[in-house]
Amino acid sequence: MRKYILERLIYTVILLFLVSILIFVMVRMLPGDPVSFAAMANSDLADKTIMAELRARYGLDKPIYTQYVIWLKDFIRGEWGKSIGSGEPVMTMFLDRLPVTIELFLGATFWSFLIGFPVGIFGALRRNTPLDAFLTTTSIIGVSIPAFWEGIVFIYLFAVIFQIFPPSGYVAFFESPWENILSVFMPTFIMGTGSAGLLARYVRSSFLEVLNQDFIRTARAKGVKGPGVIRKHALKPAMLPVVTVIGLSWAQLVSGAFIVEFMFAIPGLGRMGIDAVFARDFPVLQVVLVIVALNVLLMNLFVDLLYGYLDPRVRVQR
Amino acid sequence: MSEKIDEPIEPRRISRIGAKAIIRGVFKHKLSRAGIVIIFLLTFMAVFAPFLAPYNPNTQDLYQVLTGPSAAHWLGTDNVGRDLLSRIIYGSRVSMAVGILSTFFSAFVGVVIGLLAGYKGGIVDMILMRIVDTFMCIPWLPFVLVLAAALGPGLKNIVIALSFLGWTGFCRIMRGQVLMVRELPYVEAAKAAGASGFRIMFKHLFPNCLAPIIVAVTITLGAFIMVESAMAFFGLGVQPPTASWGKELRTGYAYLETVPFFSIAPGIMITLAVLAFNFLGDGLRDSLDPRLRGEGKKIK
Repeated sequence: MRKYILERLIYTVILLFLVSILIFVMVRMLPGDPVSFAAMANSDLADKTIMAELRARYGLDKPIYTQYVIWLKDFIRGEWGKSIGSGEPVMTMFLDRLPVTIELFLGATFWSFLIGFPVGIFGALRRNTPLDAFLTTTSIIGVSIPAFWEGIVFIYLFAVIFQIFPPSGYVAFFESPWENILSVFMPTFIMGTGSAGLLARYVRSSFLEVLNQDFIRTARAKGVKGPGVIRKHALKPAMLPVVTVIGLSWAQLVSGAFIVEFMFAIPGLGRMGIDAVFARDFPVLQVVLVIVALNVLLMNLFVDLLYGYLDPRVRVQR
Repeated sequence: MSEKIDEPIEPRRISRIGAKAIIRGVFKHKLSRAGIVIIFLLTFMAVFAPFLAPYNPNTQDLYQVLTGPSAAHWLGTDNVGRDLLSRIIYGSRVSMAVGILSTFFSAFVGVVIGLLAGYKGGIVDMILMRIVDTFMCIPWLPFVLVLAAALGPGLKNIVIALSFLGWTGFCRIMRGQVLMVRELPYVEAAKAAGASGFRIMFKHLFPNCLAPIIVAVTITLGAFIMVESAMAFFGLGVQPPTASWGKELRTGYAYLETVPFFSIAPGIMITLAVLAFNFLGDGLRDSLDPRLRGEGKKIK
């Protein structure tokens, strides 16, 4: 097991390194450099010598691989630079926004579990009944609805017609817990439905597979009643493939967070990233993208390790 | 990681399952039947848009702004008085074009690289798969936004951005299939008979690995239509005045309280399109997978 963990760790670090190169190159492909963008916004900067000086200060005049090495060193040391737009340290911006996005992720995971598991389990237990067909259709719909449209419909229904939730905005938990919950209710639900649909489908197929196994028949034969079979015998092995789906939908949640934070004007990392795309704010954009990829990588690592722990075959295979 | 997820479909030549059996299976599947009907209607709409649209989608009538549904304009007009129904009909062209083109390019690149990685194995496989892994751990939306911003607006650039990130899924599936198929006796026989690597890859491996690719193509088509509208929603879609569903939805979003239909109608179209392809993909998966058709023995 130790060897397996070590392997996975090294692998994750290598991937992170590769991803950071990819991100760096992609961000640098953006047309128009940030200094001229800043100069357009602030005429004090629109001077050739000042612009050249700024480029030199941010290292934008050096060749791209030198820029990458400098950036990587600084990133590892925790010197993430300053936003070209606002001058705020990127690290501070990041730490301000991180809790907001974490709250959204937790909320979305909550919804996706709350909906996904029961839908999947009921579908499997009532296989090939109208209920199953209904639940399967519902989960495909859940996966297919674009988050931004779902958002619009929800805002129209629950903020414009029935004024239950605020149409946008975010209230910090410590300011007012109740308003905080109201303000994240719709966004997290919208983020959660997509992964709930995915989860339901995998829970269903995984349960069906397990319910066909001999040991379930044995359990039934020796007189274990319906719910007991599910709880005691089927649940654990059925969870195995589901673990990977949770990892997979994590990446989906990132995209969801971008959309939802944009729509509902929530000051999280997604919003920060989108603003940075449009402002060509390289330092901010790079950090957001690396964090996003790191987030997915860590989740994948966690899933791999959990998988190795739950299923000994995976460990031995390597 | 997703190798465990994409459950392998038993490698069999499509022709051996029988095209007829697949089509029969797809039509027997209620959801995919609905999907086919919707896809057919959308394609019809995209192809014959000039004949179906009651107005020119780009003609502005500033006396008729944001009217809401009426007899003259069934879905109402937009903020500069263009007929919404006509714009939605024309918008199907962008969605279908982006979906089909980017899926085609992604699948093409992914299949070729997947074939190569799976067949060659060794160091080639390792390098190619690390590249795929790198791409796989980046969530699509933020990256597609950056790419689209880098390349600038326009249909061509959207297709490039989507294909750049989309090929990896196909590559993974293809490689996984090749790894199974290449151990089969007929591949060995072809090798023994002196067939070239190229011939083995494209003549023997490719057709036998196609089943899951077909399913992936359908689902990717739907996904790309959704991503295209998301990009348009963020303001990185096709250039104005070209109509696209995502753009209508974004403009309509600003008028949600007064004319809700302006943003809800294009959203229904996007959802229908994505749903149709997912339904069809579901039906295809069921009819291509012998386990789910109730014939053939269980494979592990």
